[in-house]
Amino acid sequence: MANVALRNLGKTFDKTTVLHDISLEVADGEFVVLVGPSGCGKSTTLRIIAGLEEATTGEVEIAGRVVNNLEPKERNIAMVFQNYAIYPHMSVRKNIGFGLRTSALSKPDRIKRLEEVAALLDMTDLLDRKPAQLSGGQRQRVAIGRAMVRDPAVFLFDEPLSNLDAQLRTQMRLEIKKLHQRVGNTIIFVTHDQVEAMTMADRIVILKDGVIQQVGTPSEVYHKPANTFVAGFIGAPSMNMMAATATSQGIRLFNGPTVALVQSDLTVGQPVTLGVRPDDLMVGTGQVLAEGQVVVQEPLGAETLIYVSVDGTEVIAKASGRTPPAVGETVRLGAATENLHLFDAATGAALR
Amino acid sequence: MKFYRNLTIKQKQIVWAWGFLALPVLFYSVIRFYPTGNAMLISFQDWNLLGSRTWAGWDNYTKLWHDPVFWKVFANTFIYLLLGTPISLVISFVIAYNLDKLRFMHGFLRMLYFLPFMTSAVAMAWVWRWFYQPVPIGLFNNVLASLGIPQIEFLRSTTNALPSVLAPAVWAGLGFQIIIFMAGLRAIPRSYYEAARIDGVSTWTVLFEITIPLLKPTIVFIVVFSSIGFLRIFDHVFNMTTQDPGGPLNATKPLVLMIYDTAFTGFDMGYAAAQTVVLFLILLLVSLIQLRILRDR
Repeated sequence: MANVALRNLGKTFDKTTVLHDISLEVADGEFVVLVGPSGCGKSTTLRIIAGLEEATTGEVEIAGRVVNNLEPKERNIAMVFQNYAIYPHMSVRKNIGFGLRTSALSKPDRIKRLEEVAALLDMTDLLDRKPAQLSGGQRQRVAIGRAMVRDPAVFLFDEPLSNLDAQLRTQMRLEIKKLHQRVGNTIIFVTHDQVEAMTMADRIVILKDGVIQQVGTPSEVYHKPANTFVAGFIGAPSMNMMAATATSQGIRLFNGPTVALVQSDLTVGQPVTLGVRPDDLMVGTGQVLAEGQVVVQEPLGAETLIYVSVDGTEVIAKASGRTPPAVGETVRLGAATENLHLFDAATGAALR
Repeated sequence: MKFYRNLTIKQKQIVWAWGFLALPVLFYSVIRFYPTGNAMLISFQDWNLLGSRTWAGWDNYTKLWHDPVFWKVFANTFIYLLLGTPISLVISFVIAYNLDKLRFMHGFLRMLYFLPFMTSAVAMAWVWRWFYQPVPIGLFNNVLASLGIPQIEFLRSTTNALPSVLAPAVWAGLGFQIIIFMAGLRAIPRSYYEAARIDGVSTWTVLFEITIPLLKPTIVFIVVFSSIGFLRIFDHVFNMTTQDPGGPLNATKPLVLMIYDTAFTGFDMGYAAAQTVVLFLILLLVSLIQLRILRDR
């Protein structure tokens, strides 16, 4: 059990800086997900915590101990890799036991420990199989088992679910979350999938180009995105962004209505971006924001997503699943004022 | 054309495949399989290359069985195999393993190791022959002499000659084996090593429990390939012992050289063919045994 702290972490490969001043506190037992598009530095951050990569600047602290100069094995961590890194020539038993090679446990204790972990992951029957005889989900569990067997202070997961098919991914997501609730170790999990991040995390860290964009609970990053990047990245389909200008009456959308949204710190004429999630944008309710023709319908069963062409740009809105507006129909879209997000057009930072 | 059009897709593919295969099949039949069959036939005949062939039955084989030179040569061939294959395997693995970790001058060093593989065996054999000469000509003996160590008779001793001939043959094959090993090492996912690093196991454990087991297909290939090479060793021996091919006292003579001697010095084609058939059987047997032992269980 341990906390993890990153202090002003920086990483430069040759001349490219991939991490800028990353600072993060992870509490003991917390499940933190690092999420971002590929190349954002999330895996590098994880590899620096693991000790597989050295930080150019800054400090990594695990369990109150600065570990910058410690080998991975001295950091008391375990890592689950994207390709699982389980050895094809060893049985499941040997694969899981590989992590115990250097442990101080006696032989009977090691066997006991191995069997405990196998039972916990529901793999007792599979111990004598070779990885080639296992399904993707089972291999994934072997990889987790190998990490668990040493009872590390911190678990590091590097996109462990991205090689699984959609159904299995949903299932493993749940299993990992349950496992965390049972064993309670600190987990740092890297993914590019915002759904994984939202569903599993206690706290989400959103990275872009090696810079932390926002740290917060799933609800915070969804409801109060710190900038347009976070707003667009979290939530599917993405938040609609509309160019607008601040006026004395409120926010005037370009070629559209003025929204009565009075914001004291805005100067008249300031260009802003108005954001509204498709979930909050509905036909004929709330503050009218846009009017246009339905271009495409995407029925999802309970609801239907409609793509509406507004002045040449497409806006996504939600309509009823039973009686959605037909393609070609002109609709007026509106949203409740409290569900509108406002961003500075120049910096992208949230204004409310 | 109508006939072709009426075939199914599968049948059309077969027609095309055989169309492309026809030429190599013909080539192999005329250049490989026919002479092989002919050699087996000649091994039961007496023939001096010019006269008529006469049926000899098993005579050539019984003669071979009672020929002390054959047994000496047979032993030599296996010494080449049993020394050459493991030595070259270990050396090439050690070089490839370390070269793989090296970034500095990697390409240049790899080129240096590969160079002997591209060099003509004849040229190489003659350079090594010069290395082995006694003082004041030979390089090795000059070095030994300058250090005050007595000279070594490399090529003129019945005990030293075989290893001395083997050394350049091993060296010549290293480049190729190193390249194959490096390709095998590159194919092992990095995350296997990273996982082992996190587990904190020693370098030796990683080497013996991860790297070498995962290199098994590569090792099988190199063992079979280099075994066949050492069983067929000829040009290095021939060029390093030209005055007395296979000498001194047949100490370095491999089976291929004996076949060459019997056929083109003794003009005893039947006897040479019998030796060839024996070599063929040895090659077949050794390859099959190796494949079986090293195959995935």
